Amino acid sequence: MSEDILNQLKENVIQGRKTRDDMGIDETLSGTPGVLELTESALRNNISPEAIIKQALTPGMDVVGEKFSTKEYFIPDMLASADAVGAAMDILKPLLEESKVETKGKFVIATVKGDIHDIGKNIVAILLKGAGYQVNDIGIDVPEDKIINTVREEQPDYLGLSALLTTTMTEMDVVIKALKENNLRDKVKVLIGGAAVSDDYAKEIGADAYCTDGFQAIKLLEEFKAA
Amino acid sequence: MPALNNEIDIDKQRILNRIGYSDDYEPSARINSLVDDYIENYHDLIAPSYSYRIRNIESVDGNRIDIGNSLVLESRKLGSLLERCEMVAVFALTIGNYLEDLVAYLAENGLVLQATVLDAIGSGTAEKLAVQIEGKIRIIAGIAGMVASWRFSPGYCDWEVSQQELLFRALDGDTTGIKLTDSMLMIPRKSVSGIIGIGLPGNDIENYNPCNTCLKKDCPGRRR
Repeated sequence: MSEDILNQLKENVIQGRKTRDDMGIDETLSGTPGVLELTESALRNNISPEAIIKQALTPGMDVVGEKFSTKEYFIPDMLASADAVGAAMDILKPLLEESKVETKGKFVIATVKGDIHDIGKNIVAILLKGAGYQVNDIGIDVPEDKIINTVREEQPDYLGLSALLTTTMTEMDVVIKALKENNLRDKVKVLIGGAAVSDDYAKEIGADAYCTDGFQAIKLLEEFKAA
Repeated sequence: MPALNNEIDIDKQRILNRIGYSDDYEPSARINSLVDDYIENYHDLIAPSYSYRIRNIESVDGNRIDIGNSLVLESRKLGSLLERCEMVAVFALTIGNYLEDLVAYLAENGLVLQATVLDAIGSGTAEKLAVQIEGKIRIIAGIAGMVASWRFSPGYCDWEVSQQELLFRALDGDTTGIKLTDSMLMIPRKSVSGIIGIGLPGNDIENYNPCNTCLKKDCPGRRR
């Protein structure tokens, strides 16, 4: 029974079906319970939140990531899946806190000061959430002092900085310098992304990594953990 | 600030391209249905308006283009175009802020797929409006026996985004409700500003494309 529910849950993640009303990728599951209903059903059947994440949500998103990398899925398809998993995580989060099960890590994400672009950041945030990270999106046009204060208060494992423009990416350098001045640089890994930045720029300003997209960010975070 | 017709013909394939689909890929029924639904209803979310001024070009010296009233545009590539032109049309347009307010609301509530699709429709609409403005300027130029160039916007090529402020001053205060941030980005975000060169036929103005001689082959703004 448990295995059945978890398999269905995984399949619905792959189909990106948040609720019963959702068509999914190919409509084969139309009218059947979606990720939200199945998550609730799993909990009613005493399946632990940890098992739901490890045996259904995460493996489902892994398949979505593979399909995205082979161009079988496109951005909207993976967003639908990540959205469904994010909604399931909202149900599971309080239970995980109660049972003191740790999330994969805390991630603060922001578009830097002067830049008001947020679609790319939003996509990365929802993918990270879908992958089991606790994400705090502190918005767009975020000044360095607010980022520093958030890092100091929330002590995230990772800080993601986004910038679309060459005129605003320099603010990433300002943030990294401020992290150093406040003795916070060695307490948080900094990942940067956005159309304007590159691997070379990440090295130049002393960021830990440059990410081309959300799935690459997830892969990098796994590598950081394994290191 | 004249209002524009908001019955803008949105090209669904362009919207699909903007959200990541290639031309030869058929999206799932769900995505098709979502895009169709938004294209059907987005008109209620836009309030298009525009402003433009046509100014004489006083002089062009390399990368410095004097358009009067102490307004000097700085771009070598624009200089190459405008040294052949008599006048320049300066414009700004916006689709208003309703659509992007809804995009922000959707994103904040975890509906990132919906937010992404609607955002792409907003960008596509602003783009279509910019094409309408180009058409208007072309007609005006034609009435005067002249031709008009393509449009060029600050932040692209070698034209610094910091010149946005100067471009807005060239609109004599009629910025059609668009405000500039300290970093010279426009609010509402779904806005387009720029210039169009106007001059006599026979000077290769209509098809001037600085991308033809540019070495940055991977530029996302490259025009063919």
